[in-house]
Amino acid sequence: MVLDRRKIGLFGAAAVLRLVLFVAFPSLPKLLAGRVEISTPITSFKRLQEGLFLYTHNVSPYDGGIFHQAPLLLPLFGLIPTAAFAPLTSLLYILLDLLSAEALAQIADSGESRQTRLYKSPRRDLSWDGATVGAAYLFNPLTIAACLGRPTSLFTNCALLYAIAKACERRAFMAMVALGLASYLSLYPALFLPPLIILCFDARYKTGNQVPSVLSFALTHTIAFLGSIACFLLESFLLTGGSWEFISSTYGVHLLLPDLTPNVGLWWYFFIEMFDSFREFFLGVFWLHLGGYVGGLCVRLRTQPLFVITTLLGLCAIFKPYPSISDTALYLSLLPCYRHIFPLMRYTFFALATLLYASLLGPAFYYLWIYAGSGNANFFYAITLVWSLGLSVIVSDSLFAVLRDEWEVERPEMKGKDVRQI
Amino acid sequence: MRSVYILFLSLILIVSFTFADSDYHENLILEPLTPALLLASFNFRSNASQPSFEQQHFQYIPRSLGQILQHANTKELHLRFSTGKWDAESWGARPWRGAKEGGTGVELWAWVEADSDEKAFANWITLNNALSGLFCASLNFIDSTRTTRPVMTFEPAGDHANSSLSTLHLLHGTLPREVVCTENLTPFLKLLPCKGKAGISTLLDGHKLFDASWQTMSIDVRPVCPAHGSECYIEMEQAVDMVLDIERSKRPRDNPIPRPVPHEELACDKSKPYADFDGCYPLDVSSDQSWSLSEVFGRPIRGSCLATDASHRATESVCLNVRHERDVWTSGGAIENKKASGQSRCFTLHETNLFEMNLPQQSTETIIRPEPPVYASRSFTGHGQERGGVQTLLTNPSTTLPIEFMYFETLPWFMKPYLHTLTARLSTVAIPDPSIIKSMYYRPALDRRRGTQLECLISVPPASTVVLTYDFDKAILRYTEYPPDANRGFDVAPAVIRILPPSGAESAATSEADFLRTTSLLLSLPTPDFSMPYNVIILTSTVMALAFGMVFNLLVRRFVGADEVEGYDLSKLRSKIGARIIALKDRLTRRR
Repeated sequence: MVLDRRKIGLFGAAAVLRLVLFVAFPSLPKLLAGRVEISTPITSFKRLQEGLFLYTHNVSPYDGGIFHQAPLLLPLFGLIPTAAFAPLTSLLYILLDLLSAEALAQIADSGESRQTRLYKSPRRDLSWDGATVGAAYLFNPLTIAACLGRPTSLFTNCALLYAIAKACERRAFMAMVALGLASYLSLYPALFLPPLIILCFDARYKTGNQVPSVLSFALTHTIAFLGSIACFLLESFLLTGGSWEFISSTYGVHLLLPDLTPNVGLWWYFFIEMFDSFREFFLGVFWLHLGGYVGGLCVRLRTQPLFVITTLLGLCAIFKPYPSISDTALYLSLLPCYRHIFPLMRYTFFALATLLYASLLGPAFYYLWIYAGSGNANFFYAITLVWSLGLSVIVSDSLFAVLRDEWEVERPEMKGKDVRQI
Repeated sequence: MRSVYILFLSLILIVSFTFADSDYHENLILEPLTPALLLASFNFRSNASQPSFEQQHFQYIPRSLGQILQHANTKELHLRFSTGKWDAESWGARPWRGAKEGGTGVELWAWVEADSDEKAFANWITLNNALSGLFCASLNFIDSTRTTRPVMTFEPAGDHANSSLSTLHLLHGTLPREVVCTENLTPFLKLLPCKGKAGISTLLDGHKLFDASWQTMSIDVRPVCPAHGSECYIEMEQAVDMVLDIERSKRPRDNPIPRPVPHEELACDKSKPYADFDGCYPLDVSSDQSWSLSEVFGRPIRGSCLATDASHRATESVCLNVRHERDVWTSGGAIENKKASGQSRCFTLHETNLFEMNLPQQSTETIIRPEPPVYASRSFTGHGQERGGVQTLLTNPSTTLPIEFMYFETLPWFMKPYLHTLTARLSTVAIPDPSIIKSMYYRPALDRRRGTQLECLISVPPASTVVLTYDFDKAILRYTEYPPDANRGFDVAPAVIRILPPSGAESAATSEADFLRTTSLLLSLPTPDFSMPYNVIILTSTVMALAFGMVFNLLVRRFVGADEVEGYDLSKLRSKIGARIIALKDRLTRRR
């Protein structure tokens, strides 16, 4: 009961904080919704409003170059009456944040990060409970800023966290449906299918002695995943008046990058400066680079699928086509589940300082380029490089810590000693 | 004998009737707008009967244009070249009620006959490329991103058969960035029967025309079927309108550089407080200046066009809209005809003599020009290169009648408007008024394929101003999509306003609509650093390689204790390097 009250207290405080920010600073949500770090062409709230306006006025929103978001969001937001649109959407996004925090708390409480079917961390006593992990997500300034800016990537985040939570709770089918929803909303969660299947498998047969074949399990769950995506696509087909043009407008944008609006990622400036004849080649290379991590991580970290998902989330936050701080917030929200390996990380201060540096200078250099006209695009581009470097240091450092933790199971005498890799 | 004579006469009559269908008229209207400005409207009209056009017997309609129209299956063509700005508040209504005006740059709209949209677009591209070669203008750049199909704004000016209306497609293209200059004027003059060598077209000179405050060249080709049942014919109308600054045009041709007027000759407004010191507020020119055709246009009119052609009847080709009290001296044996309205006089030119017209300085009242039906001005709002807004002010000067008009805008694809932010309100009220925009046709833009098409039916109450605003986002383009002067910005085409005849009036009688165009806008987009393609590729690739390398190393390598392997022992390495350096030093000192 004590824990529950603590959780309710923390979550309530977070909700109140967001409500206060929405109400006391009425221009703040609009300001944040316009920042490039928060909204991207595929998640922007203003574009969602435009798509909704066109949809309610019988013009196909996918016949234009503005709206690139999933069709199922349109009737969802269409239900909200236009008279009270702003307050009701704020309440909706606060609810989304609370649901994501609840899913995180469930993931942390399930203990999958410290002890899986095939692995038991020697440091598993050092951990934070679910309420703390949820609070760390809710009070993260990146999360608060994303909630106020209201990008639709928060729906993807919630679906992803829900999928992981259901997988830890051994409800594999719901996990597949949730992952299908996340992949339907933004294309990149499809990369998490292999580790999520392994997580479902490990969680399901954690206590059992007889372990069926992984392959048949994987096959059935992949079919469930594909089936759920097919259902969502069919619903969208019917919603948009029986046409498939939304596919090229939503998923085609992820793959072909027609909109080069600046964001915190690496793709936009690269493809601005790219000559046309090499464009398709480098698009393929970038997607291959992102997809290449899945196999290696799954094979090497077979015993800790939750960490594979966490690392992949971090890598996607750096290398996906239109990243934003909501993706970073999602990655940083799963890291506290690995409190037990924090002592093994070597470059925490350096990485956090880099992130702080980039997050302070980023808006300043963007202002210099776009508004003051006294800087040029290279300033902001350099900050995106620094931000990506900082995040990749965190990703690789946490990966090192987990691998070292794993190695110390077989070599417990090396605890606290210097180690090298050959 | 008599029967042969009658036969011969009837033959001549028949021949003259057929040739009477091919007809040519030209007209010049000179009208002082203010004491300092002169509006010159040149109008050249050629007719050809439908059978002779189809059989390619080109007489007054030039073969070059006629064959292009036939090859591109174009039934009606309207082409405009414009520069400058029409100051509606000082100058009043536009000439020809705006029907012969185009937006800044080049504007082209045509009714093309085709079975399907794709074939119509293919014909349109053929038409653009052919016209671009004929007029030395970059019309070939009118591609799918600059072409729209307006639904409500343009009506066919010609009479098309009802059966063919279903296969006619209207396509509209605009190039606001195009600079109009002498290389466009020369082919324009070559289309005329007299090719700029006789008649009023001798006055058209590139130096004076493109020095004007506002000038438009237009070409309209349309089929006309007269009401009284005689057969249809093709009419081609070429017009040049220009507003000349008399003072600037009188500057001699061999001394075109403006030199500062000596201090004593400055006309200063003495009523200003700083008039005694170094400041000088220029005095409005109130009295009519003296000017003559040679001074303003650089040359007199040389003869009359087609004067020696037997079938051509001499008509009044030069009209001057000044009051009868104004003294006008002419030379060259022209016949003057003062009109009954008291405000204009027309001259029939002699066939071969030079026609010179001279107006000495005299202060008479200038003729009040009609007020334009609506005043429109459009501008950008906001700052920065991320987003902005467009604001259009539409004023109805009439105190009794509301006015309804079509407002047509075509925006480039990299300017992404948010239609949910489109509001129309009266300038005196802060909340939007839903009754101002009666209906709307909107076609969103597709990146790199087509632009935005917005058509609104707007109604402005009497004596009020409507403010139309919407937000838009600026896109950032690819490296190769920027023009060489990327920081100049991109031109946004002017908005076209077509004033509908007031409801209740007979639509047949007042079928000619008023047109109005706002100015074009200059949109500045964020630019990348153009010197950086290689650097960006290697820097981004470095970051990706660093991340991949770190993760790959961690996954592939195995852990060992630091003391368990021989590695880079720093002290041993240092001593080794030191030994090598000492050996090298010894060798060098030994050599010396």
